[in-house]
Amino acid sequence: MSDDQQLDVRLGSLEARIPGAVAPDLEHKRRRVRLAGRSAVAASLLLLATVATTVAIGVVVSGGVRGYPGIENPGQPLAGAQMECMSPPQAAAYLAAHGFNDVVWQVESGGTGRGEGTTTFVTAPPAHGYVMPGAILDDGKLHMIIDQRASGHAVGACYGMPMP
Amino acid sequence: MSGDATTEQPNVVRLPAKPFADVMSPLYSGLVRRLVLVLGNREDAEDVAQDAYERAYRSWSKFDGRDPRAWLYTIALRLAFNQLERRRNWGRIISRSTPREWTDAVDPDLLSALNSLQPRVRACILLHSVDGFTLGEIADMLGEPIGTVSSRLSRARTGLKAALEMR
Repeated sequence: MSDDQQLDVRLGSLEARIPGAVAPDLEHKRRRVRLAGRSAVAASLLLLATVATTVAIGVVVSGGVRGYPGIENPGQPLAGAQMECMSPPQAAAYLAAHGFNDVVWQVESGGTGRGEGTTTFVTAPPAHGYVMPGAILDDGKLHMIIDQRASGHAVGACYGMPMP
Repeated sequence: MSGDATTEQPNVVRLPAKPFADVMSPLYSGLVRRLVLVLGNREDAEDVAQDAYERAYRSWSKFDGRDPRAWLYTIALRLAFNQLERRRNWGRIISRSTPREWTDAVDPDLLSALNSLQPRVRACILLHSVDGFTLGEIADMLGEPIGTVSSRLSRARTGLKAALEMR
Protein backbone atom coordinates (compact mmCIF):
# COMPACT_ATOMS: atom_id res chain seq x y z
CA MET A 1 0.00 0.00 0.00
CA SER A 2 1.45 3.39 -0.98
CA ASP A 3 1.83 6.28 1.42
CA ASP A 4 -1.06 8.07 -0.26
CA GLN A 5 -3.29 5.05 0.15
CA GLN A 6 -2.25 4.65 3.78
CA LEU A 7 -3.04 8.28 4.38
CA ASP A 8 -6.45 7.93 2.76
CA VAL A 9 -7.27 4.92 4.93
CA ARG A 10 -6.17 6.67 8.10
CA LEU A 11 -8.15 9.77 7.26
CA GLY A 12 -11.25 7.69 6.56
CA SER A 13 -10.78 5.77 9.75
CA LEU A 14 -10.28 8.93 11.78
CA GLU A 15 -13.46 10.48 10.48
CA ALA A 16 -15.43 7.26 10.87
CA ARG A 17 -14.66 7.18 14.59
CA ILE A 18 -16.19 10.57 15.20
CA PRO A 19 -19.69 10.19 16.61
CA GLY A 20 -22.29 11.20 14.07
CA ALA A 21 -25.62 12.83 14.77
CA VAL A 22 -29.24 12.28 13.99
CA ALA A 23 -30.74 14.54 11.36
CA PRO A 24 -32.99 17.24 12.79
CA ASP A 25 -36.66 16.41 13.09
CA LEU A 26 -38.10 17.55 9.81
CA GLU A 27 -41.54 18.28 11.19
CA HIS A 28 -39.97 20.46 13.81
CA LYS A 29 -37.76 22.05 11.20
CA ARG A 30 -40.65 22.56 8.86
CA ARG A 31 -42.55 24.35 11.59
CA ARG A 32 -39.51 26.47 12.38
CA VAL A 33 -39.08 27.34 8.73
CA ARG A 34 -42.72 28.21 8.40
CA LEU A 35 -42.65 30.35 11.50
CA ALA A 36 -39.48 32.02 10.33
CA GLY A 37 -41.14 32.59 6.99
CA ARG A 38 -44.15 34.13 8.65
CA SER A 39 -41.97 36.41 10.70
CA ALA A 40 -40.08 37.46 7.61
CA VAL A 41 -43.31 38.11 5.76
CA ALA A 42 -44.70 40.06 8.69
CA ALA A 43 -41.53 42.14 8.91
CA SER A 44 -41.60 42.73 5.15
CA LEU A 45 -45.22 43.81 5.26
CA LEU A 46 -44.56 46.17 8.12
CA LEU A 47 -41.66 47.69 6.22
CA LEU A 48 -43.71 47.75 3.06
CA ALA A 49 -46.59 49.51 4.72
CA THR A 50 -44.26 52.02 6.30
CA VAL A 51 -42.45 52.71 3.04
CA ALA A 52 -45.66 52.88 1.05
CA THR A 53 -47.23 55.27 3.49
CA THR A 54 -44.11 57.39 3.64
CA VAL A 55 -43.86 57.58 -0.13
CA ALA A 56 -47.56 58.25 -0.45
CA ILE A 57 -47.28 61.10 1.99
CA GLY A 58 -44.40 62.48 -0.01
CA VAL A 59 -46.34 62.31 -3.22
CA VAL A 60 -49.49 63.98 -1.99
CA VAL A 61 -49.46 67.68 -2.62
CA SER A 62 -52.91 68.79 -1.59
CA GLY A 63 -55.78 67.14 0.19
CA GLY A 64 -53.19 64.61 1.30
CA VAL A 65 -53.30 61.65 3.56
CA ARG A 66 -50.79 63.05 6.02
CA GLY A 67 -51.85 62.30 9.57
CA TYR A 68 -54.09 59.43 8.58
CA PRO A 69 -53.11 55.82 9.05
CA GLY A 70 -52.22 54.08 5.80
CA ILE A 71 -54.81 51.60 4.67
CA GLU A 72 -52.15 48.87 4.53
CA ASN A 73 -50.59 49.68 7.86
CA PRO A 74 -50.72 47.01 10.54
CA GLY A 75 -54.13 47.04 12.18
CA GLN A 76 -55.76 48.80 9.24
CA PRO A 77 -58.45 47.18 7.05
CA LEU A 78 -56.11 46.21 4.20
CA ALA A 79 -52.95 45.47 6.17
CA GLY A 80 -50.55 43.54 3.98
CA ALA A 81 -52.64 43.80 0.80
CA GLN A 82 -49.59 44.74 -1.30
CA MET A 83 -51.62 46.90 -3.65
CA GLU A 84 -48.39 48.61 -4.61
CA CYS A 85 -47.68 45.53 -6.69
CA MET A 86 -50.96 45.87 -8.62
CA SER A 87 -51.99 47.97 -11.57
CA PRO A 88 -54.60 50.62 -10.79
CA PRO A 89 -57.46 48.52 -12.27
CA GLN A 90 -56.29 45.51 -10.30
CA ALA A 91 -56.14 47.59 -7.14
CA ALA A 92 -59.64 48.88 -7.86
CA ALA A 93 -60.94 45.35 -8.26
CA TYR A 94 -59.23 44.31 -5.05
CA LEU A 95 -60.70 47.25 -3.21
CA ALA A 96 -64.17 46.55 -4.57
CA ALA A 97 -63.88 42.96 -3.44
CA HIS A 98 -63.14 44.25 0.04
CA GLY A 99 -66.03 46.67 0.15
CA PHE A 100 -64.26 49.83 -0.92
CA ASN A 101 -66.44 50.97 -3.79
CA ASP A 102 -66.17 54.70 -3.27
CA VAL A 103 -62.52 55.45 -3.90
CA VAL A 104 -60.90 58.72 -4.79
CA TRP A 105 -57.95 58.27 -7.14
CA GLN A 106 -55.36 60.98 -6.91
CA VAL A 107 -53.24 60.83 -10.05
CA GLU A 108 -49.84 62.46 -9.97
CA SER A 109 -48.30 63.07 -13.38
CA GLY A 110 -45.78 65.30 -15.13
CA GLY A 111 -42.36 66.16 -13.74
CA THR A 112 -41.06 66.55 -10.25
CA GLY A 113 -39.74 70.08 -10.54
CA ARG A 114 -41.54 73.09 -9.17
CA GLY A 115 -44.72 73.67 -11.16
CA GLU A 116 -44.11 70.64 -13.36
CA GLY A 117 -46.38 68.22 -11.58
CA THR A 118 -50.09 67.78 -12.06
CA THR A 119 -52.54 66.39 -9.54
CA THR A 120 -55.87 65.11 -10.71
CA PHE A 121 -58.68 63.59 -8.67
CA VAL A 122 -60.79 61.01 -10.47
CA THR A 123 -63.42 58.50 -9.47
CA ALA A 124 -62.24 55.72 -11.80
CA PRO A 125 -58.78 54.21 -11.65
CA PRO A 126 -56.42 55.13 -14.48
CA ALA A 127 -55.16 52.32 -16.68
CA HIS A 128 -51.53 52.69 -15.66
CA GLY A 129 -49.34 54.00 -12.88
CA TYR A 130 -47.65 53.00 -9.66
CA VAL A 131 -50.17 52.37 -6.93
CA MET A 132 -49.46 54.09 -3.63
CA PRO A 133 -51.79 52.77 -0.96
CA GLY A 134 -53.54 55.71 0.63
CA ALA A 135 -55.78 56.26 3.60
CA ILE A 136 -59.38 56.88 4.60
CA LEU A 137 -59.80 60.61 5.08
CA ASP A 138 -62.40 62.60 6.98
CA ASP A 139 -64.84 62.32 4.11
CA GLY A 140 -64.97 58.60 4.81
CA LYS A 141 -63.54 57.77 1.41
CA LEU A 142 -60.41 55.86 0.64
CA HIS A 143 -57.96 58.05 -1.20
CA MET A 144 -55.50 56.14 -3.35
CA ILE A 145 -52.55 57.71 -5.11
CA ILE A 146 -51.36 56.78 -8.56
CA ASP A 147 -47.91 57.94 -9.51
CA GLN A 148 -47.53 58.41 -13.24
CA ARG A 149 -44.59 60.78 -13.09
CA ALA A 150 -41.59 60.12 -15.28
CA SER A 151 -39.40 59.76 -12.20
CA GLY A 152 -41.94 57.64 -10.36
CA HIS A 153 -41.21 54.15 -9.17
CA ALA A 154 -42.89 51.31 -7.42
CA VAL A 155 -42.49 51.01 -3.68
CA GLY A 156 -42.13 48.23 -1.14
CA ALA A 157 -41.94 44.69 -2.43
CA CYS A 158 -42.26 45.84 -6.01
CA TYR A 159 -39.61 48.51 -5.92
CA GLY A 160 -37.82 48.55 -9.26
CA MET A 161 -40.60 46.85 -11.17
CA PRO A 162 -41.82 48.49 -14.39
CA MET A 163 -44.89 50.64 -14.26
CA PRO A 164 -48.00 48.48 -14.49
CA MET B 1 -37.21 9.91 -32.08
CA SER B 2 -35.89 8.55 -28.85
CA GLY B 3 -38.44 10.21 -26.61
CA ASP B 4 -35.71 11.02 -24.12
CA ALA B 5 -36.83 14.42 -22.87
CA THR B 6 -33.65 14.95 -20.88
CA THR B 7 -31.47 14.52 -23.97
CA GLU B 8 -33.66 16.66 -26.15
CA GLN B 9 -33.99 19.42 -23.61
CA PRO B 10 -30.72 19.53 -21.65
CA ASN B 11 -31.68 22.75 -19.93
CA VAL B 12 -34.75 21.32 -18.29
CA VAL B 13 -34.24 21.30 -14.54
CA ARG B 14 -34.94 17.93 -13.01
CA LEU B 15 -36.79 18.26 -9.74
CA PRO B 16 -35.85 15.83 -7.00
CA ALA B 17 -38.23 12.93 -7.15
CA LYS B 18 -37.81 11.70 -3.57
CA PRO B 19 -38.83 13.46 -0.39
CA PHE B 20 -36.14 15.56 1.21
CA ALA B 21 -35.81 13.40 4.31
CA ASP B 22 -35.37 10.17 2.36
CA VAL B 23 -32.40 11.58 0.48
CA MET B 24 -30.76 13.88 2.97
CA SER B 25 -31.25 12.30 6.39
CA PRO B 26 -28.80 9.46 5.76
CA LEU B 27 -26.15 12.03 4.82
CA TYR B 28 -26.47 14.04 7.98
CA SER B 29 -24.30 11.99 10.26
CA GLY B 30 -21.41 12.00 7.81
CA LEU B 31 -21.81 15.72 7.36
CA VAL B 32 -21.42 16.32 11.08
CA ARG B 33 -18.29 14.15 11.17
CA ARG B 34 -16.82 16.04 8.27
CA LEU B 35 -17.56 19.39 9.83
CA VAL B 36 -16.02 18.31 13.12
CA LEU B 37 -12.76 17.76 11.28
CA VAL B 38 -13.00 20.93 9.23
CA LEU B 39 -14.07 23.18 12.08
CA GLY B 40 -12.22 21.32 14.84
CA ASN B 41 -15.17 21.79 17.12
CA ARG B 42 -18.20 19.57 17.59
CA GLU B 43 -20.54 22.29 18.77
CA ASP B 44 -19.81 24.50 15.78
CA ALA B 45 -20.02 21.48 13.51
CA GLU B 46 -23.52 20.64 14.71
CA ASP B 47 -24.62 24.26 14.38
CA VAL B 48 -23.34 24.52 10.83
CA ALA B 49 -24.75 21.11 9.90
CA GLN B 50 -28.20 22.09 11.12
CA ASP B 51 -28.02 25.39 9.32
CA ALA B 52 -26.92 23.69 6.11
CA TYR B 53 -29.62 21.06 6.45
CA GLU B 54 -32.29 23.69 6.90
CA ARG B 55 -31.02 25.70 3.94
CA ALA B 56 -31.00 22.58 1.82
CA TYR B 57 -34.57 21.88 2.88
CA ARG B 58 -35.66 25.36 1.89
CA SER B 59 -33.93 25.06 -1.49
CA TRP B 60 -34.98 21.48 -2.16
CA SER B 61 -37.19 22.45 -5.08
CA LYS B 62 -34.19 24.09 -6.78
CA PHE B 63 -31.88 21.12 -6.36
CA ASP B 64 -31.08 19.46 -9.69
CA GLY B 65 -31.15 15.98 -8.16
CA ARG B 66 -27.70 14.93 -9.35
CA ASP B 67 -25.48 14.47 -6.29
CA PRO B 68 -27.19 15.22 -2.99
CA ARG B 69 -24.07 14.65 -0.90
CA ALA B 70 -22.01 17.07 -2.98
CA TRP B 71 -24.84 19.58 -2.81
CA LEU B 72 -25.24 19.31 0.95
CA TYR B 73 -21.49 19.42 1.53
CA THR B 74 -21.18 22.45 -0.72
CA ILE B 75 -23.73 24.35 1.33
CA ALA B 76 -22.21 23.20 4.61
CA LEU B 77 -18.59 23.86 3.74
CA ARG B 78 -19.31 27.35 2.55
CA LEU B 79 -21.15 28.04 5.79
CA ALA B 80 -18.25 26.49 7.68
CA PHE B 81 -15.72 28.74 6.00
CA ASN B 82 -17.86 31.74 6.83
CA GLN B 83 -17.96 30.51 10.40
CA LEU B 84 -14.20 30.19 10.46
CA GLU B 85 -13.83 33.68 9.08
CA ARG B 86 -16.05 35.04 11.82
CA ARG B 87 -14.18 33.02 14.40
CA ARG B 88 -10.91 34.43 13.15
CA ASN B 89 -12.30 37.91 13.63
CA TRP B 90 -13.77 37.26 17.05
CA GLY B 91 -11.64 34.36 18.18
CA ARG B 92 -9.70 36.35 20.69
CA ILE B 93 -12.91 37.32 22.41
CA ILE B 94 -15.02 34.21 22.04
CA SER B 95 -13.53 30.76 22.05
CA ARG B 96 -15.22 27.42 22.30
CA SER B 97 -13.87 24.31 23.92
CA THR B 98 -12.66 21.64 21.55
CA PRO B 99 -13.35 18.23 23.05
CA ARG B 100 -11.34 15.63 21.19
CA GLU B 101 -11.81 12.47 23.17
CA TRP B 102 -13.34 10.80 20.12
CA THR B 103 -10.18 11.13 18.11
CA ASP B 104 -7.39 11.28 20.61
CA ALA B 105 -7.85 7.60 21.23
CA VAL B 106 -7.86 6.81 17.53
CA ASP B 107 -5.08 8.61 15.74
CA PRO B 108 -3.85 11.64 17.68
CA ASP B 109 -0.86 12.18 15.40
CA LEU B 110 -3.04 12.37 12.32
CA LEU B 111 -5.52 14.65 14.05
CA SER B 112 -2.75 16.95 15.12
CA ALA B 113 -1.29 16.99 11.62
CA LEU B 114 -4.69 17.62 10.11
CA ASN B 115 -5.36 20.50 12.47
CA SER B 116 -2.09 22.11 11.45
CA LEU B 117 -3.47 22.57 7.92
CA GLN B 118 -5.51 25.52 6.79
CA PRO B 119 -9.26 24.74 6.90
CA ARG B 120 -9.68 24.91 3.13
CA VAL B 121 -6.66 22.69 2.63
CA ARG B 122 -8.14 20.30 5.20
CA ALA B 123 -11.43 20.28 3.35
CA CYS B 124 -9.70 19.51 0.06
CA ILE B 125 -7.85 16.46 1.34
CA LEU B 126 -10.95 15.10 3.08
CA LEU B 127 -13.18 15.60 0.06
CA HIS B 128 -10.63 13.90 -2.15
CA SER B 129 -9.23 11.14 0.06
CA VAL B 130 -12.28 10.17 2.07
CA ASP B 131 -15.14 11.02 -0.28
CA GLY B 132 -13.42 10.41 -3.57
CA PHE B 133 -14.57 13.64 -5.19
CA THR B 134 -12.55 14.65 -8.23
CA LEU B 135 -10.56 17.86 -8.39
CA GLY B 136 -13.21 19.37 -10.66
CA GLU B 137 -16.00 18.45 -8.27
CA ILE B 138 -14.12 19.89 -5.32
CA ALA B 139 -13.42 23.05 -7.28
CA ASP B 140 -17.15 23.42 -7.94
CA MET B 141 -18.03 22.74 -4.33
CA LEU B 142 -15.58 25.22 -2.88
CA GLY B 143 -16.01 27.77 -5.66
CA GLU B 144 -12.31 27.76 -6.49
CA PRO B 145 -10.20 27.09 -9.60
CA ILE B 146 -9.06 23.51 -10.17
CA GLY B 147 -5.44 24.63 -10.01
CA THR B 148 -5.98 26.00 -6.53
CA VAL B 149 -7.60 22.78 -5.40
CA SER B 150 -4.81 20.73 -6.93
CA SER B 151 -2.19 22.86 -5.21
CA ARG B 152 -3.99 22.58 -1.87
CA LEU B 153 -4.32 18.86 -2.21
CA SER B 154 -0.63 18.49 -2.94
CA ARG B 155 0.22 20.73 -0.01
CA ALA B 156 -2.05 18.73 2.25
CA ARG B 157 -0.48 15.41 1.32
CA THR B 158 3.01 16.76 1.68
CA GLY B 159 2.22 18.37 5.01
CA LEU B 160 0.48 15.35 6.47
CA LYS B 161 3.18 12.96 5.34
CA ALA B 162 5.90 15.17 6.77
CA ALA B 163 4.06 15.49 10.06
CA LEU B 164 3.50 11.77 10.21
CA GLU B 165 7.05 11.08 9.05
CA MET B 166 5.79 8.94 6.22
CA ARG B 167 8.76 10.01 4.14
